[in-house]
Order: sequence, then structure tokens, then C-alpha cells
Amino acid sequence: MATTIEDPQLDSVFTALSDRTRRDIVARLSAGEATVKELAEPYAMSMQAVSQHIRVLERSGLISQGRHRQTRPCRLEPAALEAALSWIEESRRTWSERMDRLETHLVRLQERENQ
Amino acid sequence: MNDDELVYRRVLPAPRELVWRCLTEPAELAHFWGPRGMATPIDGIVVELHPGGRFETLMLGEHGSHRMVATFTEVVPPERLAWVDSATGMHTTSTLNDCGDGRTEVVIHQRNVPETMRMPEARAGFLTSLDKLEEHLAHLTQGDRS
Repeated sequence: MATTIEDPQLDSVFTALSDRTRRDIVARLSAGEATVKELAEPYAMSMQAVSQHIRVLERSGLISQGRHRQTRPCRLEPAALEAALSWIEESRRTWSERMDRLETHLVRLQERENQ
Repeated sequence: MNDDELVYRRVLPAPRELVWRCLTEPAELAHFWGPRGMATPIDGIVVELHPGGRFETLMLGEHGSHRMVATFTEVVPPERLAWVDSATGMHTTSTLNDCGDGRTEVVIHQRNVPETMRMPEARAGFLTSLDKLEEHLAHLTQGDRS
């Protein structure tokens, strides 16, 4: 499935990751589940502020929160990150192939000039 | 270099002036711009080479066409060219460095920063690290994904 940069979920993933604290939360959740309280511990900000960051991450689809257990642990949803990565790969590939073609064209142009 | 950018580098076997010409003249762009399998006809390319000027390409393929509509934000011949894509807010900067031996290093920086375009004061706060994201993902895909 092709991922396009117009994809609105992708926009919300990149917006969610535009904040240092939220990137940090994502990185920490890549090691495993954690509760909001555990996630809030290292930051010098209110629980409310941390909860807000978590809501942004949840809305983007990057993380989910358990519904049943009382502690409602947060966990990472790798699919959203993968969509972001495939976009990055696509972008790199576009430029890499474009530069291949430019190189061929430049060589041809210079050969013509030297003749 | 900021860490909020996707960066692509390439050394090309041509002097900087020639690389600049290829990146800014429709007749040259038509030879290499479009993705594989798509043509970029010269009459579908608009280059108004000044800040605020239009940069448009029409890419035609078997399965449809794609029009890129962008606005130049920086034009410093033969060193730097930047534009912002109107549809996505994606900001692309191409920097051409003279290697001093007839070759040119091209560095492409890309940022998906619609916020930055709307409010310049947000620039400092925009810290999306695409390369870091890639690291996180590599980490993830190697690790346990229960």
C-alpha cells in the first residue's frame, strides 16, 4: 500500500512527534508499557500536562491506552510509526532516483560540450 | 545542521553552475525530475526563479498524473534553492557545495513544517527529528513487538 504525504493520519503523527516530550514518551514506550504516572515521573511538569501530551499521541494513533485495567497502561502502536518511516523511505528513494537521473543527464551534457 | 530535518546528500560529477542550471531550467528538469515511470514534459514545468515565485511540475504516468505546486522561498544562485509545497507544507532546501575538483555536493533538506510557514515563531520549537524517528523504528522492529 502506497503512503502519500497527504495522508491525514501521517500529518497527525508528524505533528505529535514535533514535540520533544512526546518523542521522549514514544522512545520510552518502545521499551514496553507504562502508566501515565510512570511516564510523568521524569518530567518537571504537571500530570495534567503529561496527560495532554498522551492524548495527542493517542489521537495520532502512535500509542493506545488500556481500557480495562485500572492503571490504564500506555503502549506503543508500531503501525503509525511504520507509516511515518515508509514515508521517509519513499522520500529518500524519490531523491535518490532523481539524483541518479540528474547524474546521467549531467554526464551526457558535459560529453556534448566536450565534443 | 539541525536535527529536525530529513537530509539527503549526493556528490555529482559536474561543476556547480551546471548543476544549478539543471535544477532551475525547465528544459533540464524535464530530463530527470519525474519519478521513475513518469514523464515531466517541459511545457508542464513553471519556474519563476525568485522568492515568492511559482515552482510547478506536471508528472504524467500510465496510471495518472501528479501536479506539484510549490513556491520558492529562497533563490541564491548557484548555492541554494528552497521551496515550500503548497499541498503538503513540505519545505525542501537544496544546497550546492563546490567540491573544488569539478564536482558538486548536493544536500537536500526536507521538513514537513506547515506550522512554521504559518507562524515563524514556531520554528524554534519545531523539533521533529525524522532521522531520530528512523532510529526509534529500527529499534522497534528489532525489539519485541507483542
